[in-house]
Amino acid sequence: MEQVLKLRNLKVIFPSHGGIIRAVEGVDLDIHQGESVALVGESGCGKSVTSQSVMRLIESPPAITRLDTLEFNGKDIKNYTHKQMQDIRGKEMSMIFQDAMTSLNPVMTCGKQIDEMYIRHKGVSKKEAREYTIEALKLVGMPEPRSRAKNFPHELSGGMRQRVLLAMAFACLPKLIIADEPTTALDVTIQAQVLNVLRNMQKKHDMSLLLITHDLSVVSNIADIVYVMYSGKIVEKASVEDIFHEPYHPYTRGLIASVPKLSDTEKEFSQIPGTVPHPMKKPNGCYFHPRCQHATKQCKKAMPPLISVGKNHEVRCHHPLKDMKKEGKA
Amino acid sequence: MKKSYVIKRILYSVFVFAVVITLNFFIPRIGVEDPAERYYPPQGNMSEIEYEIIKQATREQYGFDVSPWQQYLNYLEGLTHGDLGMSFRSGSPAVADLIIDRLPWTLVLSVSTMLIGLIIGIMFGVIAAMKRGRWQDTVLLNASTIMIALPSFFIALILSFYLGFEYEIFPAYTDPNMVSNFEWTFASLRNVAQNAALPVLSMAVGSIIGYAQGTRNAVIAVTNEDFILTAKAKGLKQNTIRYKHILRNSMLPIVTSLGMSISGLIGGQVVIEQIFNWNGMGTLFLEANNMNDYPLMMGIMLLLSGFTILAILVTDLIYVLLDPRVTVGDKR
Repeated sequence: MEQVLKLRNLKVIFPSHGGIIRAVEGVDLDIHQGESVALVGESGCGKSVTSQSVMRLIESPPAITRLDTLEFNGKDIKNYTHKQMQDIRGKEMSMIFQDAMTSLNPVMTCGKQIDEMYIRHKGVSKKEAREYTIEALKLVGMPEPRSRAKNFPHELSGGMRQRVLLAMAFACLPKLIIADEPTTALDVTIQAQVLNVLRNMQKKHDMSLLLITHDLSVVSNIADIVYVMYSGKIVEKASVEDIFHEPYHPYTRGLIASVPKLSDTEKEFSQIPGTVPHPMKKPNGCYFHPRCQHATKQCKKAMPPLISVGKNHEVRCHHPLKDMKKEGKA
Repeated sequence: MKKSYVIKRILYSVFVFAVVITLNFFIPRIGVEDPAERYYPPQGNMSEIEYEIIKQATREQYGFDVSPWQQYLNYLEGLTHGDLGMSFRSGSPAVADLIIDRLPWTLVLSVSTMLIGLIIGIMFGVIAAMKRGRWQDTVLLNASTIMIALPSFFIALILSFYLGFEYEIFPAYTDPNMVSNFEWTFASLRNVAQNAALPVLSMAVGSIIGYAQGTRNAVIAVTNEDFILTAKAKGLKQNTIRYKHILRNSMLPIVTSLGMSISGLIGGQVVIEQIFNWNGMGTLFLEANNMNDYPLMMGIMLLLSGFTILAILVTDLIYVLLDPRVTVGDKR
């Protein structure tokens, strides 16, 4: 399989008044053609910063970004100029954002905002662009695409707005789609529709997908590979089956256990105690140790390295949990 | 939907204007029982009978001899053909004529101030926002801090002292014959421009800074919006993002402040006109006030409020063009 994205040792820090915010600390990402990769973690763990860094959308200043390798589609785009990046963005890699209401320009019709993609990247006239736009809206399941294209974002429902973003992202049939919590702002029935469109389009055109989410049910439906992120670091990477059946990291296990199930007979929700450490006050050693029931002295002292525990399965833990059945309910 | 909104806004403005006309007519009549006494206060060496005769004559001359209701109807009837009543000053000139004589001279100052402020201010504001945190931005920030502490009349005094008296670049005091000698010749126009230079300059400084600051903040606020990130992720060119996405969205608050300042075009420069002895509406209003000339005051107030209502209406209508969301509230 051809590798679409290769990211090595991404570090992003934001200098601020109180100190330095280390948003991302050495993240590696690999995405192959046609693959769906999920990046999972709680709010504030650096998922969005990572994804935006891939498109080099993080403004610097204020942010300071360092990375060893950024290869996209076989090209080294690490040192691409702004102009070169502008040619790639939207055309070869595109992004779907979380809140379609704020992610669309309120004073421009939805159609025009999609037209821009074709005008910019295909060099077609406004008229031709609109025909493409209507076709794209049809593909993402927008009812009455021709008249909807003339609507402003506030005149559409949340699901329709998200479809506009989808149509925009798929406009130039890019190699890589980055979806940053694409369904978080939608209600459940619409979520399923939007995810179906996303998945079908991706499979049909053999695109790669980087899905940023904190919703594990979405992950189990869509992803092939899962990266679990905690406080700026990848803590576990595995295939989706392994993540759900054989999670090694206590954090991954906690995340899975905290998904409410209808079959649960217990009254209490399972949860991970504590909160994500403040990005300026990260603990010594393993960042997760204050919330980990299995933490030892070693965990307080040293950050564990990412170790391989199986085929394509890596975990950042001094004491990876071996057996789900024995300790799963602990 | 849009059409109904426009019609509704216009009807609303007409209603407000009708209320303003009515209040404008009755409020000055609340305080004094006999309007004639306002015009002609009793004087020491005058007998009761003499005073009564004079008052009666005044009442008849100004139409005060009928019931207030009838006066109101007469006033309304007069308004329909631009008759704002007679001034109390000697010769009883028509209020409308007095205003028409002065209005252009005030507009010379205020419109040029506004245009300078708007054009240069928006330019500076956009530059400062694009160069956020660099020296261009710092200069603007410091300048606006200073300007908040400096009222325009203080700038006027400084300018008139240095540019007017010390270096004699521009006249510090308006040529008293400027108005009477005015004709549409180049020399006459240049004379007006020279005389207007200092008053306009002293008001424009604040205006420029105000618009620049407003523009800067609006542009920065829009730049941080999610849809700008979307536009970047689409690979749009920098200039497309700037002009198509950022600027149009940042114009909304600027149109608002522009609408506010339009209403100040007529009466907002009483002090500056005094300092430079400029014979405009501000001076006229001051004269009317000092002479208890309330038909004239009513006339000026009516013009001011009418202009304000018109400015707000126009602002709202421009908003409809700029921001499609505006009509949403109309559906309810």
